[in-house]
Amino acid sequence: MEAALPLAIFVIIALAAFLLLSAKKFVDYSRWSKHARFDLYPVPKEGSKKNEYGGSYYEENEWWEKGRSTSAVTELLDIGQEMFFIRKLFIHQRGLWYFSFLFHFGLYFLFGWSVLLLIGGLIYPCPEWFAVIIGIVGYIGFIIATIGCCGLLLRRIFSKSARINMTPIEYFNLFFLLAVLVTGIISWLWFADPIVIAHEVFTLSLVNVPPIVIAHLIMLGILLIYIPMSRMGHYVGKFFAFHGMWDNDPNTAGSKVEQNVIEMGKRQPKDHWAAPHTQA
Amino acid sequence: MSAAQKHWKAKDIAKDVEVLSPPDDLSTLPEPYASNGLEPDYKAKKPEWAQRYCASLDGFVALDTLERPENEEAKKEFVERFLVGLEKLFSEVNANTVQPLMLTTDFCAKCNTCSDSCHIYLSSNGDELLRPSYRTDVLRRMYKKYFTPSGRYLGGLVGADVDVTWESIARLGELAYRCNLCRRCAQACPLGLDNGLVAKEIRKLFSQELGVAPTPVHDKGTMLQLKVGSTTGLTKAAFLDNLEFIEEDIYERTGRKIKFPVDKKGADMLVMHNAGEFIAWPDNPAAFAILLDEAGVDWTLSSDMMGYDSVNYGIWYDDVQARKVALGQFKVAKELGVRRIVVGECGHAHKAIAIAADRMTTAEDRVPVESFIPVMAEFVRQGKLKFDPSKNNFPVTFHDPCNIVRQMGIVMPEREILKACAPQFREMTPHGVHNFCCGGGSGIALMNSYNFSDYRNKVTARKKFEQIINAFGEDFTNPDVVKYVCAPCSNCKGTIRDILKFYSATSTYNVQYGGLVELMVNGLASMEKPYLEFLQD
Ligand code: SF4
Ligand code: SF4
Repeated sequence: MEAALPLAIFVIIALAAFLLLSAKKFVDYSRWSKHARFDLYPVPKEGSKKNEYGGSYYEENEWWEKGRSTSAVTELLDIGQEMFFIRKLFIHQRGLWYFSFLFHFGLYFLFGWSVLLLIGGLIYPCPEWFAVIIGIVGYIGFIIATIGCCGLLLRRIFSKSARINMTPIEYFNLFFLLAVLVTGIISWLWFADPIVIAHEVFTLSLVNVPPIVIAHLIMLGILLIYIPMSRMGHYVGKFFAFHGMWDNDPNTAGSKVEQNVIEMGKRQPKDHWAAPHTQA
Repeated sequence: MSAAQKHWKAKDIAKDVEVLSPPDDLSTLPEPYASNGLEPDYKAKKPEWAQRYCASLDGFVALDTLERPENEEAKKEFVERFLVGLEKLFSEVNANTVQPLMLTTDFCAKCNTCSDSCHIYLSSNGDELLRPSYRTDVLRRMYKKYFTPSGRYLGGLVGADVDVTWESIARLGELAYRCNLCRRCAQACPLGLDNGLVAKEIRKLFSQELGVAPTPVHDKGTMLQLKVGSTTGLTKAAFLDNLEFIEEDIYERTGRKIKFPVDKKGADMLVMHNAGEFIAWPDNPAAFAILLDEAGVDWTLSSDMMGYDSVNYGIWYDDVQARKVALGQFKVAKELGVRRIVVGECGHAHKAIAIAADRMTTAEDRVPVESFIPVMAEFVRQGKLKFDPSKNNFPVTFHDPCNIVRQMGIVMPEREILKACAPQFREMTPHGVHNFCCGGGSGIALMNSYNFSDYRNKVTARKKFEQIINAFGEDFTNPDVVKYVCAPCSNCKGTIRDILKFYSATSTYNVQYGGLVELMVNGLASMEKPYLEFLQD
């Protein structure tokens, strides 16, 4: 009991840290969200079917006199396809897409599984059907994420073009993920019931934890803290990156963009560029 | 060296070799160029270039203002200044761009998905150095090494392994000019990252901090424009003379007496041309005048120092210069009291004044900006411009200028016009927002110092030439069939002019080029004689 309690606390702290560090990253990037325009078409929110071929409101004669047609639905659809299906990778690099898709989709399942476990742990003992759903989601998540992770790792090891500029830390990241996945599979298949463990973690009553489960939970906790601080935290960046390219709202009088421009004009950076022509 | 051997690591940018990666293994052009022997070789390099500048990246020199320091002390000082600038790039002073820059350097997964979208990488047969993400990787590693705790303490383990020396910095600067800033790579990135933007940021660091930029874009570019009014050196007096000459020419060729309206207060539209047109392609502003006259428009040109050249090279390399030029141009429009600015056939001028300058100041200091393309398309729709398509009955293909199409979303109006006036119009593959850059984008069209034009003709514009050959199919090799590459952008047009000459495609196969408005005038039902020079007897 004494040894397991810190472990339970650590897992809870790690979960909270994952959320807080991701949120911090989000806040850090939002600090720079008032920026110049970087339009890149197709912009999915462009209405009147312009999104389909990459058109914009600039195609209209005297565009500023005409009502602008935008669609939140097409934008959401596009975001969805990029998030869940990694569509650009599917179009441009199918070979990598298979593994990347499995890996990411597996992680989404595992994320869902974690939420279900949280619920299952809190309402413990949960109904049989709920336990079955938790089991299915977990199986699918672990299997496809592990296949995807192995595929990505093998590509990084054997493909010369993928290998050439990888840093040791980038191999470490995938090995680390794989270790967490594999210890998870072993733990939950043969050594413990994840619903029971979840219940014991969230009620701080963790006892009799097999060593492999301890190892898994420690690694999982470290991973959760590490992800938002590493390049694996790109789930935050992707949001800003696409929005930067799709932010084509014109700076018209009285608009939100104009407000931002006014605020941008008030910035007083402490540094200045040094080349003589920048001073004039 | 074959491209298969060009597996450069980021840290190789500092490698102690005379030339790191010469572009000597290029993609094979389609027939007839795969076998007709018409592709010239590179001009011989002179050893003194390498002694004076950094020619050690690939043997070419873009940064003709970056001279090798005379001693170690000067080298050290340069490295220190670079590092100061590198830190600024990621700080408040660069707030307008920090977010996309940081995202690209922070998150690139090196999946290489963007590589096959880059015409330069493809033309080099996959030289690692020209991968869109390579220069980002170098920049990231340099930054990491000096400005992050992980880089300082873990070094190579986290990739902070690039030596920051005069040579590696200079090569990085050169590498930023082996990119057209076309951003086709960014369209493909699954994470929405933008290596084109990173290339621009490297150029910015060089210009705004180190005072280093190619002469044609800075000294003879923005600086000249801000001093005399145009990057061509065209003064107000010369500009007005030029207009008179063009008016006479229009009369001689078409019998139409058209006077260019100049500085007309309160006109509906201020038309702004790339001043290069008045000098190199006067048929283009003349065609505009003919079309606007026929459509009965209330328009004007400006003879103000900041009003007769629409260009703004600043957007390629220097935000400070871009701002000075753009605000100057808006001021002219405001003072004239025009209702709108209509940008003529210059792609980067479109992007500069419509997109880049859009958030430089509030609406009060600007006037609405639009492209000439939807304006002309509307005239066609309204029947103000009527065509006799049989006058343009020859194969026409269309090059989409990146700045107007991929980066501004003007795709269909030009096609509407072409379909109305060019019965044999055929698309390039790919086309629209996915078309490839001409190879001259972002100043590369203007850079001819030392051997750089060879690099453009053989490497950066190679893909465009391939697309042109393919677009004309069997007609390409038939010199009896005149073929027209339509490119509504001065820089694209200049690049295409150069490749058609370089590969002898005009003289051997009768491939011509020009803008959209010239083709429109040629197809006007009211024209008595052909307008396009190559159709005249
Ligand atoms: S596609 Fe995006 S993530 Fe992949 S290498 Fe290119 S920039 Fe990096
Ligand atoms: S911006 Fe264009 S030229 Fe530059 S790396 Fe990307 S695709 Fe290549």
